[in-house]
Amino acid sequence: MRFSGVRKVFGSTVAVDRVSFDVHAGEFFSILGPSGCGKTTTLRLLAGFERPDEGEILLGGERIDGRPPWERPLAMVFQSYALFPHLSVARNVAFGLERRKLPREAIADRVRAALELVRLDPATFADRSTRQLSGGQRQRVALARALVLEPPVLLLDEPLGALDRKLRKEMQGELRSLNRELGMTFVYVTHDQEEALTMSDRVAVMADARIAQIGAPVEVYERPRTAFVAGFLGEANVFDTEGGHRVAVRPERMELLRPGVSVSTARTARSGEVLDLVYLGDRTHAVVRLESGADIRVAIGRGGAIGVEGARWKRGDRAIVVWPTADAHPLEDG
Amino acid sequence: MRDGSKRSPRARIFAWLARRDRLRAWALLAPGTSWLVAFFVIPVVIVGGYSVMERGLYGGVEAGFTLEPYGRFFDPLYLTILARTLWLAALTTILCLVVGYPMAWAIAAAGRWKHALLFLVVLPFWTSFLVRTYAIMFLLRDTGLVNSVLMTAGMIDRPLTLLYTPGAVLAGLVYGYLPFMVLPVYASLEKLDPALLEAAESLGARPFARFVRVILPLSLPGVVAGSLLVFIPSLGAFLTPDLLGGAKQVMIGNLIQQQFGAARDWPFGSAASFILMALVLAVVYMFLRRGAALPEEV
Repeated sequence: MRFSGVRKVFGSTVAVDRVSFDVHAGEFFSILGPSGCGKTTTLRLLAGFERPDEGEILLGGERIDGRPPWERPLAMVFQSYALFPHLSVARNVAFGLERRKLPREAIADRVRAALELVRLDPATFADRSTRQLSGGQRQRVALARALVLEPPVLLLDEPLGALDRKLRKEMQGELRSLNRELGMTFVYVTHDQEEALTMSDRVAVMADARIAQIGAPVEVYERPRTAFVAGFLGEANVFDTEGGHRVAVRPERMELLRPGVSVSTARTARSGEVLDLVYLGDRTHAVVRLESGADIRVAIGRGGAIGVEGARWKRGDRAIVVWPTADAHPLEDG
Repeated sequence: MRDGSKRSPRARIFAWLARRDRLRAWALLAPGTSWLVAFFVIPVVIVGGYSVMERGLYGGVEAGFTLEPYGRFFDPLYLTILARTLWLAALTTILCLVVGYPMAWAIAAAGRWKHALLFLVVLPFWTSFLVRTYAIMFLLRDTGLVNSVLMTAGMIDRPLTLLYTPGAVLAGLVYGYLPFMVLPVYASLEKLDPALLEAAESLGARPFARFVRVILPLSLPGVVAGSLLVFIPSLGAFLTPDLLGGAKQVMIGNLIQQQFGAARDWPFGSAASFILMALVLAVVYMFLRRGAALPEEV
């Protein structure tokens, strides 16, 4: 699937500004960004609910941007689930198959299989009203309703947003394995960076109607191209080097040492003062004010020694912050 | 000093009422209930009583018991009136639905013009229904606007008979009751989640299937409410058939009016009223049962 120079304007707001990207077959592709960045509009352009003002959308080499939604070989899972309230669970799942005029028995078989696929027992749930379902169950019905059509591409619009944290984790794993088992292409829109990093083969980070960076989770996390990407995915210390370059260093790449320790040439060192210690459960962050005036966060006490390591430092301590020079990533503007 | 003794008697009564939920419910229901008992229940009982009493010579009733007025209703003359009434009311409802549904849809989709359009729908209520019906008469009569225009344009030689026809009655009824269809249908369409329509589209539903499978079933409560609000008053209509239908298009409402007026046959008028009421109840029951059953069936 290809998005090529697509632009969409609503009134005086540019929602999607000449965005181009490719999605490979079978890939779990996430579009990540804060609200209002244009990620949902991008998905709606794919689904056919919006028509692009410029550019092309191709699927399997064929242009689809002129086609109405019902003629696109895609299925979508909505943020609000959008289950039909007047239909039972089974009839909701059967909706798309009925539009394809499949024989009744074939529909019943595939509905049953789809419900099993999303781990809803057909005997219990098939005839229930969607109003009797919990949020997690609705989510599964919405997923089954889209999967049952076996579309080459499945679009998901923040489908886990309304679920609690534990259920969300569980569904993340299930979505990932569905993507692998079914060999279906998933295009997943989310504002949750952790979700995007853990599930995706590739992530497109969007900001201000444009794509800031596309790449594998490791790539966008470890080598962010802009300050925005560095700050949106996890935490990053962004500051200017003496050479006038802007760089980003992850807190966990940094080390906090006592003054007077010698540092190898492959590492950069800056001295400063510990301003605060922030306990985060699995790690502690020391907030250090450098002599240049910049505040940076350094992860201390990894590997089970959190309490001990944290206790070794206190506010006001003089310290040297050290990081491998190779881990300071130069950033582009934006 | 105790707090309660300082409060006014009125405040104490309200506090006492607030502590007694059931009493409060009764207090809230009392005004409406008394009104309905005085001006609905009692009159209905009186009319019911009249319908089985003897006819008075100069109107009114005389003591006695008879079912003769009900028997008389099964005369072919009156059955024709009943059939015409049912037919016209049903046709009015269907036409209101056919005209009103797209209108309600357009208003629900009108965005910022929504409120202005709704205002236009209820605007006719600012004038008396009588005045508006007379206006239709001026439009339809032999020397009326429609005939004048057609004659001037040379499309006809002699005026068409438009007034005092079933068509004129139908036009008047549809015009009069259209807002009662548009408003409830609009209310149910307005609540429709746009994501449901998009979900239907992305699942392969073309506009027609989207309408039949999603929009229509979900707006059915509005359709049922609108149909009842049009059908029931159409059954009892007497002003419109009187003015636009004349002597040839008598509906059951006109019949009842005549019995209490010129014919001075109160028992028969009362019996006809009760038959109309039974009919309305039967229709409402049917509609509500259908309406309640539908969501599961579709």
